[in-house]
Order: sequence, then structure tokens, then C-alpha cells
Amino acid sequence: MTSFLTAFFSGTAQGAIYALVSLGLVLVWRGAGVVNFAQMGQAMFTTYIASQLIQHDYSYWSAFVVALFSGAVLGALVDLGLMRPLTSRKNLKSLNSESMRTAIPVIASLGILGILKSLAGIFWAGEERGFPSPIEPTAIKIGSTNLAITGFDLFVIGVVFLALGLTTIFFTRTGVGLAMRASALNPEVTRLSGIKVGSVRTLGWAISGTVSSLAGLLVTPRTNLSPNTLDLLLIIGFTAAVVGGLTSLAGSVLGGFILGYVISFVSVYSAPENVFIAILIFLLLALFLRPQGILGSKEVRRV
Amino acid sequence: MLVVTDLVTEFSSVKALDGITFKAKAGLITTVIGANGAGKSTLLRTISGLEKPTSGSVKWFDHELTGKSVEAIVRGGIAQVPEGHAVISQLSVAENIELGGLFRKRSHKGDLVRAKREVFELFPILFERRDQQAGSLSGGERQMLAISRALVSRPKLLLLDEPSLGLAPLIAAQIINIINELCRSTGLTVLLVEQNANTALAVADHGILLSLGKVVANLPADELIADSSLRAAYLGY
Repeated sequence: MTSFLTAFFSGTAQGAIYALVSLGLVLVWRGAGVVNFAQMGQAMFTTYIASQLIQHDYSYWSAFVVALFSGAVLGALVDLGLMRPLTSRKNLKSLNSESMRTAIPVIASLGILGILKSLAGIFWAGEERGFPSPIEPTAIKIGSTNLAITGFDLFVIGVVFLALGLTTIFFTRTGVGLAMRASALNPEVTRLSGIKVGSVRTLGWAISGTVSSLAGLLVTPRTNLSPNTLDLLLIIGFTAAVVGGLTSLAGSVLGGFILGYVISFVSVYSAPENVFIAILIFLLLALFLRPQGILGSKEVRRV
Repeated sequence: MLVVTDLVTEFSSVKALDGITFKAKAGLITTVIGANGAGKSTLLRTISGLEKPTSGSVKWFDHELTGKSVEAIVRGGIAQVPEGHAVISQLSVAENIELGGLFRKRSHKGDLVRAKREVFELFPILFERRDQQAGSLSGGERQMLAISRALVSRPKLLLLDEPSLGLAPLIAAQIINIINELCRSTGLTVLLVEQNANTALAVADHGILLSLGKVVANLPADELIADSSLRAAYLGY
């Protein structure tokens, strides 16, 4: 029973972070049709910014806010500075191959990942450093029994649910949210409705950047921070996004939590070193049994 | 008034529009007819900015439209209902309508509410189905929704691309009639592209016949209907 609870609580806390990473990937994929391999590189970079601020005696919360804001700016810059010019009509006209058109932004995102890692290495040296958490990771007690969940876990779960709640309200209750959904589903009809699809797309990159930056802030107190720490998180987040159907925001979040449970149950009941293979087996199973994802739609786009 | 002059639009060096010149008077219905591949859709898509012309000009009163972005053209009062009942099927009926007026939400909040009420009065079935996904509507209802999305932007010029395509004749006639009434009662200018020449010309004031990207006839609608030799040569009936 204790090990079940341990696996469940730790799965929820980890899954919450995977859900953010997966959500960030799906936001960009839906809006721009790009798998952004630089996403966790951006998050690593903004976490370093927060870490620098904290080292210079700024409070955790001011560093937290600055990191989220930098995440948005960095996301928007990637789109405005690189993706938009690369995928402009004029630039694509010279290309005849459809697969090249799809591949170019993805390869560019790998380039950004490389640049961000090198920059982090230059600015902050390559070695691991710790990243603080606002709440001590000590187990919560009921009476004298230790629960398998720490205050920090609860903090992570709370922050993620708050972020997901805000995202849901934004997408379902605001005009800009409607414009974002519409642009992703049918850019032409959206443009014909007078909406600047390009700006909406940039906003998608910015929100994705913020969400991933939040994931970076929440995961590094556990993993420490180095230019490469968040690589694994991208793989897990990507698997979660695929499991969730790549096009569905709710599916991406669900996929994140499912993966959190898979990983934590495997590491509790089997062994932590089996986690990676379990992720791959799970991904294969999901692709065989439900290739469109849990909440992904099979429907072909009407034009 | 819409004035199109020497408009040329090319797709990898094939001239889809080969020097189109015509005028569409404000407050009237101008119908563009022609066989498949005559350039009708390309004409509308060039006017609305979706295709960039190689040369020529499109003027709405004093405003040159070529070179402007699609969004700027829509915001300038020119709305297009694209071919194939273009609605966003994964969004609800109400959301599709909301989308059309979104860019006016801050500046004309009150009028947007009125505009939405008006389209629901025009198409009561859409009000009944407002929470349904647009993809679950019938073809006719989807076309009504596509028209509603355009109307809530309060256009002065409405570009309609084959609204009757794929619809039962009765429904098609109903939709064309509603457009006709709208034009007569509100002074909306309509440019209507149709393959179904008879239905379209019946309500139109003016008719333009396209063939292979060129204007081959530019006549009052009743004269175009009466000219059986033109119809036989270019439409095949």
C-alpha cells in the first residue's frame, strides 16, 4: 500500500510537469506545424536566468516571474526571428519538395537548441548547479506517519493545475483564445475573418515558451541544472504529446499525467533503470492501439 | 463601386486570370459565371487577397486592394465566403459566428451583439444549433453559417464563391434568395460566383461571363440570360 501511494503521488507530481512540456509542444505543433526541439533548451536558458537572479540575491518569486516572462519573449523571438522568415511564402516558393518544407523548421529548431546550449555553456559554464525550491521537499506528516508526498510535490501540482486552469479559461472563454484555436484548425477561414494569423501564431510560441519555462522551474529543484538536464524531459514530453494525439490540448495534458504514472509505477515496482525502456514500449503500444492518440481526432481537415 | 482593371494572376506561369476588367456597382448583385477552370474562384481569391496578382488593380471606391493583406481587406469591409461551405467544423456554430466579428469586438461591442442577433434572425436554424459543432450541420446549414460568419463583420462588399455548390436545388434557391433580399434591404454589394448560371442570373443585376481567365461577356443579367449563343458556346447548354 505504501509503495502504491508513493508511486501514485510521485506519478502525479512528475506527470504534472510532463503535462506542461507536452502542452508546450502541442501548442506550437497545432499553431505552426513544427515540432519544437528547442523547447526545453529555451526552458533551460530561462531557468539559468532565474538561477542567476537568485544568486544575485533577488527573491525566488521575482526570479520565477522573470523566467516566465523571458520564456514568452524567447518563444516569440524564435518565431519572429527564425520560423517566420524561414516559412515565408517567398522563401518556400523556391522549394518544390513538400517534405523539405516540413523538415526545415524542425531542423532549425535543432539549431536553436544547439545555440542555446552553447550560450548557456559560455555564460554559466557547463557544470551542474542546484536550483532552489520555495518549499522544502520534506515529507508531509499525518500524525507521526510520513506520507509519500512532499510539500514541494504539492506545490508543483498546485502551480501546474493553476496554469492549466488559466490556459483552459484563456482558450475557451476569450476572443484571443478562440482566434488561436481557429488559426490552428483553419488558417484560411481565420484570415478571412480578419484575424492576423501570423500574430496569433507568434502568441502561441510565446505561450508555449512560458509553459515550458514553468516546467523548467518546477523540475530543476529535483534534477539540478545544466545545459543538458532537460533533454530527457523533452523526450518524455514528446511521447506524452503523441500519446495524447498531438493536436489536442486536453489530450497532451492527459498524456503527460499518464506518462507520469507509467514512469513512477515502473520505477517503484520494477526498477528506475527500466523507466526509459518502459517509455518506449508504452509509446509503441499507444501508437499501435490508438495511433490518433487518446483525444486526437481522426477527421481529415475540410478545406 | 468595385473596379477591377487588367487583373492578371498566375500560377507557376499559367495565367488563371488573363487581364480581367469589369465594374461591380455598389448596392447591386453582380454575378460571375463560367465553366470549371474559367478563373472564377481565382478572381474572388485575388480580390480578397488570398492570391497575389501579377499585375493589374482592384479598387473598392478609392482604396487599392492589391498588395494589402487578407486581414486588412476584410477589416476594410470586404468579406469572402469561400468555396465549399468553409466553416471550422471543430468549432461550435456560435464560435464560428463569433470568429467573424472578433476583430470588431473592442471597437464595436454593441454592434457586434446586434450583428449576431441579426444573423440568427436571418437563419433561425443556426440559433437552434448554436452549441453544436459546425461539422455536424447539413451542407445547407454550413453554407448559412459561412455566410453568417462573413455578415457579422458588417461587410460592404460580400464575395460569394459558389454558395449553391453541392446543395439540393431547393436549399440553393433559398440561400440565393436570402442573399438577394439582404442586398435589396441593406444596400450590400454582392459579387456572386456561380456555375449554376440560371439561379444566379435570376437574382443578379449584372452578369460577367469568364472563359479561360478572360471576360467574354459583360452584360446586364437579363441580356446574358437571353443570349443563348453565348451560353451554348461557353457553358454548354
